Amino acid sequence: MSPASKKRLNYFLIIGIVTLILGKFIFGSLQKNTVYFFSPTDLFLSSEKPRGAIRIGGLVKIGSIQAKKNDSVYTFLVTDLKNDIYVEYKGILPNLFQEGKGVVVEGVLKDKKFLLGKNILAKHDENYMPPEVADALKKTGNWNKKYD
Amino acid sequence: MISNLGLLFLVAGFLCTSFAIFIFIKENIIRRLIVYKNFFLFYKISFFLILSSFLFLAISFAISDFSIISVYENSHTDKPLFYKISASWGNHEGSMLLFVLVISFYGLLFLLSSKKINITLKAVTIFFQVIIQFIFLFFLIFTSNPFAKIYPIPSQGLGLNPILQDPLLAIHPPFLYLGYVGFSLVFSLLLSALVSKQYNHNWASLSKKWVLLPWTFLTFGISLGSFWAYYELGWGGYWFWDPVENASLMPWIASTALIHSILVMEKTRKFFSWTAILTILTFVLSLFGTFLVRSGVLNSVHAFANDPERGVYILFIISLITLSSLIIYILKFPTKHNNRGNFVVFSREFSILLNNYFLMFVLTVVMVGTTYPILLSVFTSESISVGPQYYNTILAPFVFIFLILMASGPLMNWNKNSFFSIKNKLLTYFIISAVLTFLISFFVKEDDSIFLLGILCSSYLIVSVFYEMFFYNKFIIKLNFPRIFSHLGFGLLIMAITLNYFFSREITTKISLGENFLSQDIEIKFLKSTSRQGKNFQELVGSYEITKEKKVIILNPSIRKYAQPKQFTSETSIKNDGFSDFYIAMDYASDAKTGIGIRFYYNYFVRLIWVSFALITIGGIFSLSIKKNEKKS
Repeated sequence: MSPASKKRLNYFLIIGIVTLILGKFIFGSLQKNTVYFFSPTDLFLSSEKPRGAIRIGGLVKIGSIQAKKNDSVYTFLVTDLKNDIYVEYKGILPNLFQEGKGVVVEGVLKDKKFLLGKNILAKHDENYMPPEVADALKKTGNWNKKYD
Repeated sequence: MISNLGLLFLVAGFLCTSFAIFIFIKENIIRRLIVYKNFFLFYKISFFLILSSFLFLAISFAISDFSIISVYENSHTDKPLFYKISASWGNHEGSMLLFVLVISFYGLLFLLSSKKINITLKAVTIFFQVIIQFIFLFFLIFTSNPFAKIYPIPSQGLGLNPILQDPLLAIHPPFLYLGYVGFSLVFSLLLSALVSKQYNHNWASLSKKWVLLPWTFLTFGISLGSFWAYYELGWGGYWFWDPVENASLMPWIASTALIHSILVMEKTRKFFSWTAILTILTFVLSLFGTFLVRSGVLNSVHAFANDPERGVYILFIISLITLSSLIIYILKFPTKHNNRGNFVVFSREFSILLNNYFLMFVLTVVMVGTTYPILLSVFTSESISVGPQYYNTILAPFVFIFLILMASGPLMNWNKNSFFSIKNKLLTYFIISAVLTFLISFFVKEDDSIFLLGILCSSYLIVSVFYEMFFYNKFIIKLNFPRIFSHLGFGLLIMAITLNYFFSREITTKISLGENFLSQDIEIKFLKSTSRQGKNFQELVGSYEITKEKKVIILNPSIRKYAQPKQFTSETSIKNDGFSDFYIAMDYASDAKTGIGIRFYYNYFVRLIWVSFALITIGGIFSLSIKKNEKKS
């Protein structure tokens, strides 16, 4: 092997190794910080309770919003019109949070029907339906043309 | 009537664009003439036609012409005039028209401002620009006509959401477009140089400003968006690693790398192929950003209700443009420049090479974090999102190294190993910044190792910039203003982010009238609440007294109740204490009798973040003005 091609070989080897290390680094961190999305029915059907932070999405069930006294805690039901999940959320509700409208809540499950919400994701657009919520509704056959 | 005129101008603009292409092909490609008068004339006319069409759309919004679907869906007679007009680009169709207008605008600007350059290079650049314009006009007219009609004509529009009426929200899209659509010009310029065999270091000096101009707009647009999210969304943060934020960040990163590599190409005649690839990458990422925002594949705060079919078209356009530009690159790239050999370690271009590696790494991280959830949901049915911690943990350690590079790179000479000549300076900076870090950590009583590292590295860069300002020749500094400001801005940004990350506080609680709440050193007192009548809303204004370390600040957040449509909004109240913000939002859904929920943020040094954004933008502005002075002298 000529010195020039030896040099080039070393160069590619180093680049390859560095790329591998960085790649592993990226995907390791990605795995750790992935937040899965579930619809209420997904959770109902799942055999195990998912761990860590998850997102759930659906409609805010009409008439289910309740405020706790002396603490800024809200509880409400998120529904895909087949199954419901009870959400307890401490904080203030975002401006576009409304009964009967789509919502995505991020939080940790206490049990399969009870989510401790950390974050309610607000949207730009009042008629906007998060794609996950739309999917969740389609799966249960409760998708309505008016949501389009 | 007016809407018909708008459509007429749009179609005329499309025909004129097609005709310009036809003329170029007939006269200049087939007959090989080098007279471009008619071609340029038609190009200019096409710009004015598109401009008129856009103005007619804006007028239709201003006078609430509800016979147009997009006016009906996005406007309302009760909207203030400013928001009526800004609604014209707040929807998909209008924004695509703005997109085409910006493409055309950059072409015209190039045509009018570059008198001295080679006529063939100029004409071929405009030719590529006009092709891009044609593709997007075609897309606009056939998939998203902004002047589409509705019948019967509704008497009132649908769009009157008070939350969406905000000056920054209204003006940030045009700046973002002037930013990333602007990269189309340097892209055309590259293809033109490759085709007409003029891709050399003169090309680099010529195209530098066509990267810097859109880069400056993009920086400004991103800052505006970030600032809007901060005070309007009520989450107290300034950057959420939201996919749409990432969509604008990706072209920013690529263009930042490009600014540096183009400099190397100009000064040392190296990095030829790398600069070409970065130019293509920057524009493709801009288009990719448009795709992410406009196709509805995202789940983000920015996602608008829209039509996935358009996404397919945009994806097709992206592939078309990427593929054809790569083919041109491969076929036409000048082979004689491929001198990879004499590369000097610890030279200026060496530090820029490392800078580019780093930026590409950041780009990969952001790209993976943004596209991984999309790919996963396409190929499996799983739906996921990636948390901000992913970006923070991966990027933080590299940013620290990057800061040191940013401080030491500019000290080095082109084409020369400068390690020995600069090592004393590097040591001096280190000593000064170590002392500074010690003082800061003593003052704020924090000794977390990440915190210390963040402060040390950012002050290292800041010290280097100040050192240069005080001890260098005045004339040289003037030429280096753009870099000095942008680098100083970046150093301050990382310092501000570190301080903000470690010392910000968040309190969520419920307080009744007259009571108070104590959490460590922060006391919040609910003084009084008053009702008042606004123009189209009722408002409940709270008055809160915040006490922190003997400083007392009164904040007045409010809850607004709108009658039409029936909706509540919560208005935040923000006051600053030096660089730090006291930020409070009231909960609209709670009952005043049982106490009102509040969310309070103490945002440490957050204003320094806006200052650093401004400095980076100012650096960009300087780079454009200095270019002119250099020519004169």
